[in-house]
Amino acid sequence: MVLYLSYNNDMKVHRLLALVFPLLLIASGCVEIIDDLSLNADGSGTFKYTVNLSSSKIKINSILALDTLDGRKVPSLDEIKSDVDRLIKAFKNKDGISEVSLDANYDDYMFKISCDFNSLLNLQNAIKSVILEETEYKSLPELDHDWLSFKENVLERSVPKITIEKTKEIRQADKALLREGSYTSITRFDKIIDDFRNKNAMVSKNGMAIMLKTNPYSLIEDQRLLDNTIYLKSDK
Amino acid sequence: MKYLIHLTIFCLSVLNGFGQSETLIPQEAVSVVSINNISLLQKISLDDLVNYEFMEELQQELFDGSTEGKSIKDCGIDFDQRMNVFVGNAVDYEVGGVTFGISNQAKFFEVFDDYDKVPCDYPGVELYSSYFNRIAIKGNYGVLLRVNPMMELVDMLTDSIWYARGNEYPWGYGYDEIYNDLDGENIEEAFELMEELETIENTNNPSADDTFPIASNDPTQKTYFELRDSVEMSLQNEYMQQVSKNIFVDKKCLFSADEEFRTLVSHSSDAAIYLDNSRYFMQGSSIWYFQAMYPQLYKELGELYESNVIIGDIQIKDNTVEFLVTSKYNEKLGSIYEEMNSAKFDKNVLKYIHQDNSAFFTYNVNLLGAYEQSMDVIVPILEKETSSKVTANLLVLELMDALIDKNTVFNTYRGSMFGTYNGVETIKAKKIIFEYDDETFEYIERQVETEEEMPIFLIGYSTKREDIIRKVMKRLDRLSDKVIAYNDYWIIHDAILNAAPAYVFMNNGLFMITNDKNIPTNYFHGYGSNALSKKNAKKAKKSATIYAFADMEKAVENLPSSLFDGRQNEMLDFIRGKSGNIEITSGGAKEFSSDFKLVYNLNGEQDDSGTYILDLINSIYVLTK
Repeated sequence: MVLYLSYNNDMKVHRLLALVFPLLLIASGCVEIIDDLSLNADGSGTFKYTVNLSSSKIKINSILALDTLDGRKVPSLDEIKSDVDRLIKAFKNKDGISEVSLDANYDDYMFKISCDFNSLLNLQNAIKSVILEETEYKSLPELDHDWLSFKENVLERSVPKITIEKTKEIRQADKALLREGSYTSITRFDKIIDDFRNKNAMVSKNGMAIMLKTNPYSLIEDQRLLDNTIYLKSDK
Repeated sequence: MKYLIHLTIFCLSVLNGFGQSETLIPQEAVSVVSINNISLLQKISLDDLVNYEFMEELQQELFDGSTEGKSIKDCGIDFDQRMNVFVGNAVDYEVGGVTFGISNQAKFFEVFDDYDKVPCDYPGVELYSSYFNRIAIKGNYGVLLRVNPMMELVDMLTDSIWYARGNEYPWGYGYDEIYNDLDGENIEEAFELMEELETIENTNNPSADDTFPIASNDPTQKTYFELRDSVEMSLQNEYMQQVSKNIFVDKKCLFSADEEFRTLVSHSSDAAIYLDNSRYFMQGSSIWYFQAMYPQLYKELGELYESNVIIGDIQIKDNTVEFLVTSKYNEKLGSIYEEMNSAKFDKNVLKYIHQDNSAFFTYNVNLLGAYEQSMDVIVPILEKETSSKVTANLLVLELMDALIDKNTVFNTYRGSMFGTYNGVETIKAKKIIFEYDDETFEYIERQVETEEEMPIFLIGYSTKREDIIRKVMKRLDRLSDKVIAYNDYWIIHDAILNAAPAYVFMNNGLFMITNDKNIPTNYFHGYGSNALSKKNAKKAKKSATIYAFADMEKAVENLPSSLFDGRQNEMLDFIRGKSGNIEITSGGAKEFSSDFKLVYNLNGEQDDSGTYILDLINSIYVLTK
């Protein structure tokens, strides 16, 4: 017999959600995400992640003015700032990660996170580690897979499952609004791109960057929409 | 004589057969929603019903499918008896539940299939138990009851047992900081953190650095939290027994204990609301710290709030839902309310309410009178409390009272105000977009204009000291580049949700704020002949403290859905496409009571009056919970 849902057991996951997706959930209409990966030949590189909620700032401000939403406490702006700062601090301490920076514009709700990494493995491990710390080491099967790998001039990339799985928890009515948003995935190399698998991808005129664009709704419906395997030429 | 009348009402009501399911409401109940004409709810599906917050005690039934596709009609409820939803508390525990009549017990337990029959010593009572609640059935009526001990008591007893067993200080994870900082403001935060820490202990893979309270190395010993669960369960059983004994053996219930409640449920209205404000305030879970630290003050305040009860009747008449509310209080509190309500209506506000507005309210109070009367009532109470903190605060209060020019303060902010909602307009806002370079896919940010829908409002406060507000605005103009002075008004940029400007202006003894530029520029002196009609103005003037009116169709139809969350939009969608007016009037404060009336005119749409009444009841329940 199913009884009351235990909120306590899910508290840590909700806390993570409250950190990673709070503004996405409440401003689900017009979220713009840019996921920008620059990869060097030796596997090191720079990762930039931009979340632009400026189109929804009126809605965000109206919700932040509330105490609770759907029975849950709405975090104050100071709490959000503090949580974001804590996440960045945690990320800075991870192996193989350097030059971590956060450009947070709380007037327009634009957040730009950037870091350098020694290897894609270190980057993924750092992200997984921060998520695990935030969820108090709760078992999250979505973290079992690797979403980036680079071997012999071939990059395989997808979108971390956890971002998709948790976004599925948005109510259907709100989810439909995600069609108005956008998710852009850019991968840059110091070599010329030879070929790629995802037919929806576009290569830049200089041949060294590739872009895939969709909206968050489509991405939730088809998690493989941004998957791509990119082949690089041996010489620049 | 008064006693004789009430006794007669009581006897007649018992003889008439009501006072059945009502007699199962515990005397600890602080608020009760009593639905008399429950046949109104026949068409409502059970799933919809239990989704209402005031039906939260039934919500566990939502998850097991037993309510699926069924209406109240299908679940064996007796439509000739009242249904009463109640919540309340004693010093050591909280109670909640619902009482109802039963016409078909077999059908009833098809829905409430979580419950197993348990032995019962109470004569004529059948008892059923689930993990959380109990159902007691006596003849053709019953109660679904939940009793929970106060967590402060549970923690205190757990600590006591824990140390008595020779265990050491159980906390190693920030608890010192929590308790050192504990005061009235952050108690809730502290409890939330404690719950989180408890979850950490139950985590499968805790961090190696964390230390948790464990009883000993012996795995058969209970951890601190296991012990606390046991204490909680034990207290829950004890209090459940106590509440049940009161109801079924000693016949102590709200109906027998409270004259106001007895009178209320003798009314023939479709539904009734009862809130014992004195117990709501004095036994609220947030006041235990206050009670412990300032016992004398707590006692005195209890006397101030004595007899403070809010009762209300909901009646569906033709196409109208009427909600009549009476707030009852004692002489001391009444004297403050009487002074507060002694304000003369400020006719100037009527000039700024457009005849076609979607919704407006006027609020008329004499703040200076209320302040002075409050001082007369509250200072003697504070004087009796001997604690140094209260004495210091009293000194500050008395010095401020003596040194500050109260006339200036209360002539600047007199207390009376009004507000209008003038529909929705498109405003210019800004957003950031990215532009990509085709050559490299590098991107740059660009700020562009966008259009947003924004509710348009005007709020005004009565003032006799425009000169003081003008001084403040003049200085703010210097201090902030967001405040800019024009001839007759000021613009405050990004004042509304950090996106739209607000306009501030003063005229006719009113200080006004709006997000509609038209008002200070074109209607600085008011709407003239387009102002509120004489008929409606007369209603507002006649209504003593508060008057409010909303044309639901106009007010809700154009509200931008982007400003509300999913649940709020679901509620608004329900109103969208329907027409009707809501009007709130007040009868002014008398010595011992104040009357308010809310009228919801459905404009001929009465198909779903059950839902209307449930929405109203739920709103009241949420507000008074």
